[in-house]
Amino acid sequence: MLLPVLLILPFACSVIAACMPADARNREVWLAGLVSFGSLIGVASLFPRISAGEVIRYEAAWMPAYGLDFVLRVDGLAWLFMVLVLGIGLLVVLYAHYYMSPEDPVPRFFSFLLAFMGAMLGVVMSGNLIQLAVFWELTSVTSFLLIGYWHHRADARRGARMAFTVTASGGLCLFAGVVILGRIVGSYDLDVVLAAGDQVRVHALYFPALLLIVLGALTKSAQFPFHFWLPHAMAAPTPVSAYLHSATMVKAGVFLLMRLWPVLSGTEEWTWLVAGAGVCTLMIGSFAAIFQHDIKGLLAYSTISHLGLITVLLGIGTPLAMVAAIFHTINHATFKASLFMAAGIIDHETGSRDMRILRGLGRHMPITATLAIVASGAMAGVPLLNGFLSKEMFFAETMLVGGDTNWWMSVAALAMGVFSVTYSLRFINVFFGRPQVELPREPHEPPRWMRFPVELLVLLCLIVGVLPALSIDQILYNAVYAVQGAQMPAYDLAVWHGFNVPLAMSLAALVGGALFYRLLRRRFNPDQHDHVPLIHRFSGAQAYENVMSGLSIGADFLIRLFGTTRIQPQLLCMIVAMVAMIAVLGLPSSRHLADPFANLDPLFGLLLAIGCICAVAAAWQAKYHRLAALALLGGTGIVVSVVFLWLSAPDLALTQLMVETVTTVLLLLGLRWLPPRITPKELAIEVPRSVWLRRSRDFVLAVVGGTLLAGTTYAILLRPATDTISDFFLLRALSEGGGTNAVNVLLVDFRGFDTMGEVTVLAAVALTVYALLRRFRPAPESLTQPEQQTNPVDPAITQTPGKQAWSGYLMVAGVYLRLLLPFMLMFAAYLFLRGHNLPGGGFVAGLVFAVAIILQYMLAGAIWVEGHLNLRPFRWLGLGLITACATGLGAWIFGYPFLTSHTLHLDLPVLGELHVPSAFFFDLGVFSVVVGSTMLILIALAHQSIRSHRQPGKNAEPGTQEAA
Amino acid sequence: MNGLETLPAWAAIIVIGMLVLGGAIVLIGALGLMRLPTFYQRIHGPAITVTLGAGAILIASMVYFTAAQSRLVVHELLITLFIMMTAPVVSMLIMRAAVYRDLRGHKGGFVGEGDVYRQAPDTPEDAAAEK
Repeated sequence: MLLPVLLILPFACSVIAACMPADARNREVWLAGLVSFGSLIGVASLFPRISAGEVIRYEAAWMPAYGLDFVLRVDGLAWLFMVLVLGIGLLVVLYAHYYMSPEDPVPRFFSFLLAFMGAMLGVVMSGNLIQLAVFWELTSVTSFLLIGYWHHRADARRGARMAFTVTASGGLCLFAGVVILGRIVGSYDLDVVLAAGDQVRVHALYFPALLLIVLGALTKSAQFPFHFWLPHAMAAPTPVSAYLHSATMVKAGVFLLMRLWPVLSGTEEWTWLVAGAGVCTLMIGSFAAIFQHDIKGLLAYSTISHLGLITVLLGIGTPLAMVAAIFHTINHATFKASLFMAAGIIDHETGSRDMRILRGLGRHMPITATLAIVASGAMAGVPLLNGFLSKEMFFAETMLVGGDTNWWMSVAALAMGVFSVTYSLRFINVFFGRPQVELPREPHEPPRWMRFPVELLVLLCLIVGVLPALSIDQILYNAVYAVQGAQMPAYDLAVWHGFNVPLAMSLAALVGGALFYRLLRRRFNPDQHDHVPLIHRFSGAQAYENVMSGLSIGADFLIRLFGTTRIQPQLLCMIVAMVAMIAVLGLPSSRHLADPFANLDPLFGLLLAIGCICAVAAAWQAKYHRLAALALLGGTGIVVSVVFLWLSAPDLALTQLMVETVTTVLLLLGLRWLPPRITPKELAIEVPRSVWLRRSRDFVLAVVGGTLLAGTTYAILLRPATDTISDFFLLRALSEGGGTNAVNVLLVDFRGFDTMGEVTVLAAVALTVYALLRRFRPAPESLTQPEQQTNPVDPAITQTPGKQAWSGYLMVAGVYLRLLLPFMLMFAAYLFLRGHNLPGGGFVAGLVFAVAIILQYMLAGAIWVEGHLNLRPFRWLGLGLITACATGLGAWIFGYPFLTSHTLHLDLPVLGELHVPSAFFFDLGVFSVVVGSTMLILIALAHQSIRSHRQPGKNAEPGTQEAA
Repeated sequence: MNGLETLPAWAAIIVIGMLVLGGAIVLIGALGLMRLPTFYQRIHGPAITVTLGAGAILIASMVYFTAAQSRLVVHELLITLFIMMTAPVVSMLIMRAAVYRDLRGHKGGFVGEGDVYRQAPDTPEDAAAEK
């Protein structure tokens, strides 16, 4: 059970850290530190079992249907990486406590750091390929967040974006690769896959799988040609760089290659791909590192080259090379983390990282200088330090590659050795000499505990370098055993192997590096050159930017080609497509249609004809006479509701009538804000021919489309009714729904869940309209008060609408309509109460209620009504939704599914027996939502008039302002 | 559907008479709305429709259902009440708008851009009716 706890703990604490207050610096550090330390103890406790050769597994069902289990698997290799991730994580947390400035939002930092730690642990512990890919992408995301931590800086944003794009694309390749691999093997379980190496290597899909997986690893480990993201990621805070680029993020790539080494390696393709990329990386990285001015830039390129070294070793593919690769991974993590931290200390205490101005720091910070010099010694491969050992193994392996004749690999290795000595010298040069330039801050030693992580890591470098057999042997053996299994190579970890070629190469590199550095100083001072000589033209970052801008240009082009911001062409395309589809699919079968006018009741036909005429006339008038069009549209609506009545659907007719009324009124209110559209006859504008053509085309299209759609509807209606469930509803309405009005029972009971969704949508629509109208700014020409409200011939303009209705010309109407209000409210209540058994129900009752309120608004204006009635539409909406939901949830209390209805038979003293179905309360919710949303839209429109008149205009007298 | 056969003769005669009367009034009202020359004359068409016309039809309905169901059915009185409460308001509002339009047209009030009532009153009778 330890493994899942180890995995979940960082993620859980990441959430906790994110919720902590911004100034809880110490608590954050304690939390992150304790998590890392506790997990480290837990991992350490596994050491005896790992040393015994055991593979610790934890399995949980994930997607059993797809043969996928959530597997955590720890062997020697995973154990080693877990120790690196947690150990260096712990040190980074401690270091970050002192490094981060008080202005930085620390909760976010530690939260991301812990999440990243969890993602890395997930990668190394995964016992399942798919799971590994998931955690892999998670490390990409969290590292993106960490690199972009200082998101106010453009370089941080750019670096984070670049790192994310490259590593996440690689992650996608990896995902495709492991899917292929899983297909080849027939399982995604790592143990099964690792055992199937021979089967995989001869498979036809071996090369694509290899290529994709290697792409994933190379992008993550910043290998050529994807190495460019790493230097840009240096915009991250230094603790992040120390963590990501020494022990974790970039090591994930080489970890993957090691993990899948038993399956994929041992072929020519593997060697060419992996070792080829590695050699290029190693040369470019070490060469470019010499010419950096930024300390972190130098360390970044050095990281690239060391990762290239590990990749080359993995590519060589001999068992001993594997040993060297793992060994160098450990060594690099220790010395590079300490170097990054030392660079951070220099940055922190001097305010600069520029090696051109930093001089003589050894005078001010002797301890840090010593530590950094020792660590760079390890990086350069000085004897008695850990880097020397693994580099010597590397030299030994390179000699085996080409046999006796081909020495190019050794030459490359030697050149890399020379370069790494050179850039190490350049780095430690900042500690010597005399200060020449005034630094931003007076340099001094850092706080005691800020230096502690560096001290500890340098101590490790020394211990491993001097006493390799005692310190690291068992750990290394476990890791190698996990990869190689039975064919463990014989190797000897010792400082002294006698005089041999690798030793000579090491010494040659040291001497050559020193000479090269002197030569450079004399002939080609790196301080005075901005570019890396020879290779600066092959900038991966530039290529990346070019690809990115090419992509956005291409996207823009496609949008220009296929997109449009005008709605007319889109509609045209849609209608043409619809017409074409109906014409192709529908017309061939149209011959079988019966004559639609055979059994038509002439009265009914007349009714429909009126409706059609109204609709066509509305379309005709819509352009210049919106008011007329709206009235005609209302006529169509009334015809529709009469048709419902004719076809014996009183519920529908009632609702349709109310909907038409409310819609027409609300649209009328909205008309006020449309700019007037009048063709002045005096100007005698002639319509150009092209416009006539376009209009004719649109007209023809509209007529054809409308006719075809009507025909299609007719054809569908003619189809014999199949087995519908309407009989079911009619039969069960009373017995199971407790009501005789099947329509209402259907709405609130049988399909209550639908209705629930509908009222939710209604509420959302009302809120959206409200939100849109709150920010609505009318066209300038309709901004002023309409002329009807300002013309002095009308005596009413001096009165507010409220006054007009109370004592002005609207007095009679006012008295009448106020009298009507209680009647209408009572009618709404009546419709609501009888809804379950007779035509009516919550929806139509809500509409009637809303119409009653709208009438008052129209009569006396918003200000008067709201001064006398407190409407609060938001409460209506909220209460309605809550009531409907609570009714549904109430069924749960009694152990029934959501929205199960129940009829309560009450025997009340005065009223007699009363049936109260639970659907009644649900209907109450519907009623409330309908009232709330209608009123909300009404109020939004009404307040629009009040608000916009407050804007500075010609008629700013207080008396006329409210005449809306 | 057709329950007239079962109706007593006296009731049938009243119902038929009222229906014919009401129908005729509604028709006349509609014709008036369409044919009368000025607005102020035309507004009388709907007025007679909702008062006399609707009244006659409602009486027919009352008599029919009372006779057919052998009990007093007076729901129609409610309809009458509601019509009485709403129809006059509508007519008043429309007429007020017309008065205002004519006021503006004749007294030479401000006529600005976008005047929806740009054209002069329909006929000279309009002006006459106003005085």
